[in-house]
Amino acid sequence: MTMMTAEQYAESLGKLNLVVYMFGERVEDVVGNPIIRPSMKAVAKTYELAHRPEYEDIMTVVSHISGKKINRFTHIHQGTGDLLKKSKMGRLLGRETGCCFQRCVGMDALNALSIVTFDIDAKYSTGYYKRFLKYLEYVQENDLTCDGAMTDPKGDRSLPPHKQPDPDHFLRVIEERKDGIVVRGAKAHQTGAVNSHEVIVMPTLSMRKEDEDYAVSFALPSDADGISYIMGRQSCDTRKLEGGNMDQGNLMFGGHEALVVFDDVFVPWDRVFMYKEYDFAGQLVEDFASYHRQSYACKVGVGDVLIGAAQTAAEYNGVARASHIKDKIIEMNHLNETLYCGCIACASEGRKEPSGTYCVNTLLANVHKQNVTRFPYEIARLAQDIAGGLMVTLPSEKDFRSPETGKWVEKYFKAHPDVSTENRMRILRLIENITLGTAAVGYLTESMHGAGSPQAQRIMISRSANLPEKQRAAKKLCGIEE
Amino acid sequence: MTFYEIIKNDFEPMLRVGVKYCGGSNPEYDRVALVEQIKERLEGKVSFVPPESEGVDIILAVNGCRTACADLSGFRGIETWTVTGNEEGEEFVRKIVEREVHINGKAKK
Repeated sequence: MTMMTAEQYAESLGKLNLVVYMFGERVEDVVGNPIIRPSMKAVAKTYELAHRPEYEDIMTVVSHISGKKINRFTHIHQGTGDLLKKSKMGRLLGRETGCCFQRCVGMDALNALSIVTFDIDAKYSTGYYKRFLKYLEYVQENDLTCDGAMTDPKGDRSLPPHKQPDPDHFLRVIEERKDGIVVRGAKAHQTGAVNSHEVIVMPTLSMRKEDEDYAVSFALPSDADGISYIMGRQSCDTRKLEGGNMDQGNLMFGGHEALVVFDDVFVPWDRVFMYKEYDFAGQLVEDFASYHRQSYACKVGVGDVLIGAAQTAAEYNGVARASHIKDKIIEMNHLNETLYCGCIACASEGRKEPSGTYCVNTLLANVHKQNVTRFPYEIARLAQDIAGGLMVTLPSEKDFRSPETGKWVEKYFKAHPDVSTENRMRILRLIENITLGTAAVGYLTESMHGAGSPQAQRIMISRSANLPEKQRAAKKLCGIEE
Repeated sequence: MTFYEIIKNDFEPMLRVGVKYCGGSNPEYDRVALVEQIKERLEGKVSFVPPESEGVDIILAVNGCRTACADLSGFRGIETWTVTGNEEGEEFVRKIVEREVHINGKAKK
């Protein structure tokens, strides 16, 4: 097959037997569910664009293992050019969907594993890399979406995995069999989990000998026996159940997160990529995190949408020529393009790993993500400033359509004479969606905590910044000799 | 003009232009709309084909901005026109029309 269409992707998800719960009930039709479906359509966009000639330069690439044309989301980066295109792909899809399109995390997991499995083999003469390449070929050949599952619930944050009061607060191996292992635990905040064909599990932090049962990485079909998904709520999520086509803000796309529970799940050996090599858990976390911090290039694309919406709202409100509004739009662009600089920089300064995979520059990827924890909030604040209070006090679409109240909503919320009240309401709803509604999960809080909370990047910045070299440069210039 | 020349002129194969887009990560204009306009303007004069087709005369590289990052590595040795905006699209149309006039003019001699 090699490259699925959007329609084939949706069809393939429908064939999975996922165990999904939402609002206390089992979801029978996951693909058709009105709350989940917009997130499926966002992933489907990654398939659709790969078939369009005007995007193929970014969305597709030739596989280094099969020589076939594949979707870039299943690719292992073979140079800084690939890393750059990954950043550009994030911006493109962020702008096309206005939300999280969920597929980057699996790509980042595959790339991190392509480095670490090779390195484990080099030290312990294991056979993980060969096993990984076979799995990669399967993913590429079938154009699969993978969930990269790293974050454990973590329990008491002051304790390592083996000292947790509940030993399942970190996913762990509970049994070793001749044909594989049995695992138990959970992964939290899993973006796009129920839109994925596969789930790739990785440890969540550096580990010591005592934690070796927790140092495990593997891949499973997302509907493997024993895996359950509990959907996370999003602000304003039930607007998708109300009918109509205004109050959702983004009419087509969305994201989702889920708690993924592994209730004594069997993993065959050919799907295991790390087993008790605890000394490589930290490297896997760091490599994955660096890639995933780069992936926040998508927020630049969502920022493009928000800036476009803010400018439109300003025009609809009749204030676009006011100097302070112009200045706020300039500031939004400045912040957004500064984010873009970071994701381009960490890609172009990438390095070759022993496996041949190219990895982003760790320091610059962490600096980029640190900026992402801040700038979208400021961009959102400015968008709300420009939009005005009406963004959060607008009556519903049903009131707008009502024969009793519609005429007043129409009359009193009219602003610019050439702009309909309905269009003014639509653009305000989109700003609400991105800064307060369902898409704020992805644009704001995910920007804060996704791919690691701000402090995680500060630790990496501290570790990666070469202070002695900076000191040497300073001392040399002022004549200090020690 | 001989009978052979008349027949040859009427059945002269059209110029085959392969359109190769950049990835479109941050385009400054609507690339697809520009190509549609170019196709409309050159209808009957040029045959637009996928860039990897056999016998392509010209690759029209349509880039969304002046970074012009369309990957042309597979088209070495083929005449290439790079477009990074609407004005350059206009220029491409003008040059093709001129070339057409020139070819027809020569054929009539």
